Parts: sequence; C-alpha cells; structure tokens
Amino acid sequence: MERLTDIIALVGEETVRAIAGLIGVLIVVVVNAILLTWAERKVAGHMQRRIGPKEVGPYGLIQPFADTFKLLAKELLVPKDVAKPLYHLAPILIFIPVLVSFIVIPFDAQLQVKDINMGILVILAFSSLSVFSILIAGWGSHNKYSLIGAVRSVAQNIAYEIPLLLSLLAVIFMANSFSLKDIVEAQKGLWFVFYQPIAFLIFFVAGVAETNRTPFDLPEAESELVAGFHTEYSSMQFALFFLAEYTNIFIVSAIATTFFLGGYSGPVLPGIIWFFVKTYGLVFVILWFRWTFPRVRFDQLLNFSWKILIPLSFINLLVTGGILKI
Amino acid sequence: MVRETLEEIKKELAGVEAIEASYAEKGYHLAIAIDKGSLIKVVEYFDRKGFYLEDLLCVDYVEYLELVYFFNTYHTLCRVKVALKLEPEKPSAPTISHIYTIAHWYEREIHEFFGVYFEGHPYLIYLFLHDGIDFYPLRKNKIPVSEEAKGLLNSFKPEEEEDSFLVNLGPQHPSTHGVLRVVLKMDGEYIVHADPVLGYLHRMQEKMAENRNYSQFLPNPARIDYPGALLLNLAHVAAVEKLCGIEVPERAQYVRTITCELNRIASHLLWLGAFPADLGALTPFLYAFDDRENILDILEAITGSRLTYCYFRFGGLYNDVDDNFIEGTKRFIKRMRERLLMYEKFVTKNVIFINRVTGIGILKPEVARKYGCTGPTIRGSGILYDIRKVEPYAAYNRIDFRIPGGETGDCMDRYMVRMAEMEICLNIIEEAVKNLPSGPYKTDKVPKKLKPPQGDLFHAVESSRGEAGVYIVSDGSDVPYRMRWRVPSYSNLMTFPYLSQGLLIADAIAVLGSYDIVVPEIDR
Repeated sequence: MERLTDIIALVGEETVRAIAGLIGVLIVVVVNAILLTWAERKVAGHMQRRIGPKEVGPYGLIQPFADTFKLLAKELLVPKDVAKPLYHLAPILIFIPVLVSFIVIPFDAQLQVKDINMGILVILAFSSLSVFSILIAGWGSHNKYSLIGAVRSVAQNIAYEIPLLLSLLAVIFMANSFSLKDIVEAQKGLWFVFYQPIAFLIFFVAGVAETNRTPFDLPEAESELVAGFHTEYSSMQFALFFLAEYTNIFIVSAIATTFFLGGYSGPVLPGIIWFFVKTYGLVFVILWFRWTFPRVRFDQLLNFSWKILIPLSFINLLVTGGILKI
Repeated sequence: MVRETLEEIKKELAGVEAIEASYAEKGYHLAIAIDKGSLIKVVEYFDRKGFYLEDLLCVDYVEYLELVYFFNTYHTLCRVKVALKLEPEKPSAPTISHIYTIAHWYEREIHEFFGVYFEGHPYLIYLFLHDGIDFYPLRKNKIPVSEEAKGLLNSFKPEEEEDSFLVNLGPQHPSTHGVLRVVLKMDGEYIVHADPVLGYLHRMQEKMAENRNYSQFLPNPARIDYPGALLLNLAHVAAVEKLCGIEVPERAQYVRTITCELNRIASHLLWLGAFPADLGALTPFLYAFDDRENILDILEAITGSRLTYCYFRFGGLYNDVDDNFIEGTKRFIKRMRERLLMYEKFVTKNVIFINRVTGIGILKPEVARKYGCTGPTIRGSGILYDIRKVEPYAAYNRIDFRIPGGETGDCMDRYMVRMAEMEICLNIIEEAVKNLPSGPYKTDKVPKKLKPPQGDLFHAVESSRGEAGVYIVSDGSDVPYRMRWRVPSYSNLMTFPYLSQGLLIADAIAVLGSYDIVVPEIDR
C-alpha cells in the first residue's frame, strides 16, 4: 500500500488517473459494443417474430464474442487500387474521437476520468472528427459506392451538428456551465427534459442522424450503396467501424442522459446503475427505430435539418435565453 | 364492341388482307397479312387507335420467316395479329421502335435469335447473349451468324463523360431482386441515364420448348416466373387445352382459380416484403414471409412443392383437393384479413414510407401504352385492364370481383393497387371455395401423347405482374413448332430508363421495387 502511494507520488496522481481511466474506458467500449451487437440482434429478432441468436451460450450471449474472434481471425483483404495510407488510417481514426468522448462522461458522482470545465465542447469537437475518417474511408477505398456514401455522410453530419449543438446550448444556458458534472448537479430538482422537451427531441433526432442509424442511415444504405463507405473493408477493419458505430450510439445516449435525464442521479440505487439504465433505455429506442422505420431520402434528410430542426432549435434557444434573462 | 372495332379496322385499312379468325380457337380476332411497305402505315394506324403492342415475335417456317405483331387495347379485348413474311436469306424489316418504344427490346431479341435486321433501329445490339454464339438459336436450320452481326458482340460499352460517372446496379446488388444489372450514368446523386442489361439468367426456355413435347414442358413455366409459378403453369396448360379442344371439368376450374389466387397472394407478399426492404425497412419482410409460409403450407399439401409448382395437367389437375385444403384456406383467409389491416397500419400509414413513394416514378397512361405495360403497373396509372376480367379463364367469369386502380400512377398507387388486390384475391378465394362444385377433377379423355392440330394460338393469363401470354405454333406433331412467352416484367421494366431519368438514386430504387420485377421471367 505504501509502495502504491509512493508510485502515485512519483508519477503524479494525474498520470495514474489517466492510465486507469484509459484502461477502464477501453473495457467499457469493447464490452459495450459487444453487448450492443448482441442486443441489436435480439431486439431485431423479437421485433421480427423470431428469436435471434440463442445457440452460443445462454440466450446467445457468447455469440458476439464468437463473431469478434471470427473477424479477428479473418484475412485483411486490401483491394488493388486503394489509396493505401488513407485506407488503413480511416478505421483507426474513427476510433480515436470515440475514446476521447468517454473521458468527460460522468458515470457516477465520482466515476469520471476527468472533469473538464469545457467537457461538452471536447465531445462535440472530437465527434466531428469522425466525419473525417468516414470521408477518408470513402475516398481511399477507390469505390464509387464508398465515395457516394462518404459524401452523403459529410453533408448529413454538417447538417445535423448545428441543431445538435443548439439544442445542447439551451441546457448549457440553464445549467450555466460547460462541465458535464455541473450539468448533472443542476438537475437535482427536476430533469431538464421537463424544462426543455423540444431541445431533447431535437437532440435525440440529430443524435440518431449523427450516428448514421436508420432512418438516417444514408451513408450505408444497403439497398442503394451496398454497404456505403465501408464496402471495401473486411476483417478487423470492418469490425472497427462497427465498434465505432455502436460506441457512438452509446455516447449519444449517454449525453442525452447527462443533459436531459439527470445523468447518474436517482433514488435508492447507486448512481452508476441509474446512469446505465437511462442510457441503455435510450439505446433501446435507437435500436427500435432501426427495425421500424424505412430510410428517408437524401434531400428529405437535409430539408428536415435545415428547414425544421435548425429554425426550431434557434427559437428554442431564444425563448430559453429570454426566460432566463427575465 | 369487338364487332364494331373489327369492322372499323377492316374498312380503314382497305387494301390490306384482313381475315377474321375464330377467337375461340385462335385466341385472336383478326389476322392481317401485310408486306414490308405497308408495315409502318398499319402500325401507325393501330397506334392512333390506342392499341398497345402486346407482343412482337418471329417464327421460322424454313421457307420464310414470319414476324408477328400482336396488338390489343386496354378497354376492350380486340387482339389483332399482324403477320409479315420475310425472306430467309438476309431477312430485314423496318423498325417500329419509333412508334412503340417497347419494340426496341423485342427487335433486339429477334435480331439475336433469328438474325433479322431491323432497318432504322437506333441501337441494335445484343439483348441477352452478350458473348454471342455462332448460329442463330431459334432458326430451324443452323444458320451461321454473319460477320456484320458478330461485330456487335460485347458492344455494350457505356462510357463516362466529363460531368458524369457510371454506377453498376447489379448483377449482384441487394435491390435488383435477382441478377438484373442496370448501368446508371450519374451526375452526383442524380441519374442521367439508366441502361438495363439483361441476360444473366437467360436459359432459352423458348428453345427448350421446341425440344420436348407438351407435357414434358409442364415444369418449365414455373422456372420462368418462380413467385407466381401456378399462374404460368395455367397459361401453358390452358393454351394447350384450347389448342387440342380439351374440356376441363367445372371442379378443376374452380380449384385452379383458388390455387392461382393463393399463389398470387404469395407472390404479392414476396413483393410486400421486398419493397419496404428496398426503402430501408427490413421488418415487414419477415412478417410478409410469415404469412407467405401459410400459403406455401396449404399449396404444398396438394401440389407437393413449395415454390415451383406443377399442379395443373391437361384436362384437369394432378390430384383432387381435400377437406384439409378447404379448412386451411378458410383459416388463412380469416388470418390474412387481420394481417392486411396490420400492414395498413404499420407500412401504408408510415410517414417516412408515404414521403418516399408519393409522387415518385409517375407513369402516365399514354406512356404505359407505348411500353405495353400491364398488370398492377398500369392499374396504378388508372387503366383498369385485367385479363381475368376482359378475357376470363378458369372460373373467373363465375365470380364477381372488382379491379382496383390508382390515379396518378406513382409508386404509392402501384403499392396501393397491390395491397387492394390481395384483399380482392381473398374475396375471390372465399367465393370460389363456397361455390366449389363436386365432380371429377380431371377428364379422362386426354390422350397420353398430345398431338394438337396444325395452327397457332395465343392465350393470356393475368399473372401477378401483368399479362403473361403464350403463343404456340403447332405443326401437328407432339412437339410445339414454336412456343413464345410474352412476359409482363419485360415490358414493365423497360419503362425504368424513362421513369428513372433525373431521379435520385434512392427514388430509382423505389421505382424499381414498385414494378415487382422477376428477372428469370424477363430473361427466360
């Protein structure tokens, strides 16, 4: 014990916290993604009058692990004409912003890697980076389907980042802080979803669009573009895109929980359980969307953002600001 | 009605040899023999009168080739056969593709199978046999392909231009329902031009028919249109029965009607699964297949197969239906009615779905006529043309049913027509089951070896995609001299380049899904 304190003293508390946090985040990311693939297949199964995976392990719980190992063991197939550096960079690059976002999310009152006073800005800044990796993947793949998917993705992400930000800004006005922890603490009385129902809806819709999920899954619309920007990826590179997608779903739900549903606060049970219950509740809704809705068309998607969501979020922001001022 | 039309045609086409044919025996009302010079004049006349080009085919009589044009109208049944004799040496005929757009494809097909050159055809390249073979497959004598025609092999070479790029939709693509390939010339997300490439599933069913006798060909129609196998099975059986003058017992007619309508629902359900899946909604697929499974179980019990049925025989059925079938059908009707309400709630009223299909791919009636479209595709455009009504076969004339129609002819209308059709099919089945007469299920007067008398015959049925017709030329032997299949998806698909022009790629997928095309049927 003494030695441990010595080491901490030697390298500094910050470093130890960072390393422990990194390991923790990696575990959460991987376990979450694996659980979500399982959940997605189960949810899809039950919504489609079938059972879903059930053979490997109890309720098929081991199935995603088996799939992961299968993907790991597969050959990395690189098509002939790809732009090699870009092609290999994209799957790695898509994963970094995902990891960074986890640093500032408060899982519990004490359980947070680092409480940065600009927390939400870190998440938003880094999540915009994922557009880059999609564009790089699409460009580097030397495939027309990939390119169209990537171009769609960029247009979509730019369009939906604005309402996403504006809707969060309304909450930031109310909490008077950019720190995620402060925002949770500010909801001790009543959750912000009751003050800001419109902002919550806007955020959730824009969040689904940001994660490229149905009904906004245009970058990977399988009936039009085969698999979109990741058409040419195989093996673990493909798995990384998948991992990033599921982690993004988690992050969007986690931010929604933190900003609108009171984060980790809740009676009786420990905070971390409340956090995960709320987050996975929202994740379930996103999965539910996918197996219920058809896909919107590209122009409808953009119109919806520019003509409805953005004006609406501006009005919401103005009203919020006005009321707070008075 | 028919009388007047025929008199009018005869009067106005003075100088052309027109012989009235016995409709009961031939399946067409009027046979007109023309020469090359008057072809365009006659075709233009039919175009003016609002006829559509039902079929265009060629028969090799060794001494001469005969081009046969079938014209029909959407309002009354008035089928006219126009025959043009050609020299067997270097045959050529003027093109009619500038009058009827669908002739583009029919003429390309005849060109590669018979070596007939169509003067003035803008794009006379291979339709099915892109790599080609060194003789004309449907000619009776082995005629080598001319050097000139060989130059056209593999001549389909689409080129990109400065502001556009090409995208291959298929032949392996999730939304082309089989192995259709469409080469899209794109300007960003917009389609500049679409070019369907056929032949990936070409099996030359028409040549196969010339090599086996009538009963040996029985299983083949099911391979032409696999989701609606019984309907094409009936087309073949009924055509041969008409040719040989075989009477079919009343009970068999009713059972044919019931099983055909069940098959039609199964086919529509397959489409109901695939269409929303094209639009990104995957769940309806599983629900539709759940319902379809019920039909397959019912049909399996009496026919012995689940997809490629061969249940009808000349003069009746393979075996009689039992109480299980009747009970199962009644149960299914009850269940399906509830399910249709559910589909209406979850698919038809879905806002995203409505926004995706309304106003997309509008097919105007006049355009549909130029392309010879049939089935739900034109009924969506408001042309209430249904072979079951205008030219009743089996027991359809004893059953009262209505034909659903759309107004604008967009994807939504085509969708609604098919949904309404399923409901009407249920009514037909219900009534047919109620009135199912007892008695023999087949006649025992059918000889083992069928030798129909010399002559030709056209018979059409309403398949789940439109008018499926079979034209048989018999030379008195037990093998058909020529068997030609007129398939609905062929003409329906040809409107795709027209409808998809200027659309977003996502809309084009919706249009393609709304046709309910079956590629093996197109390629034959």
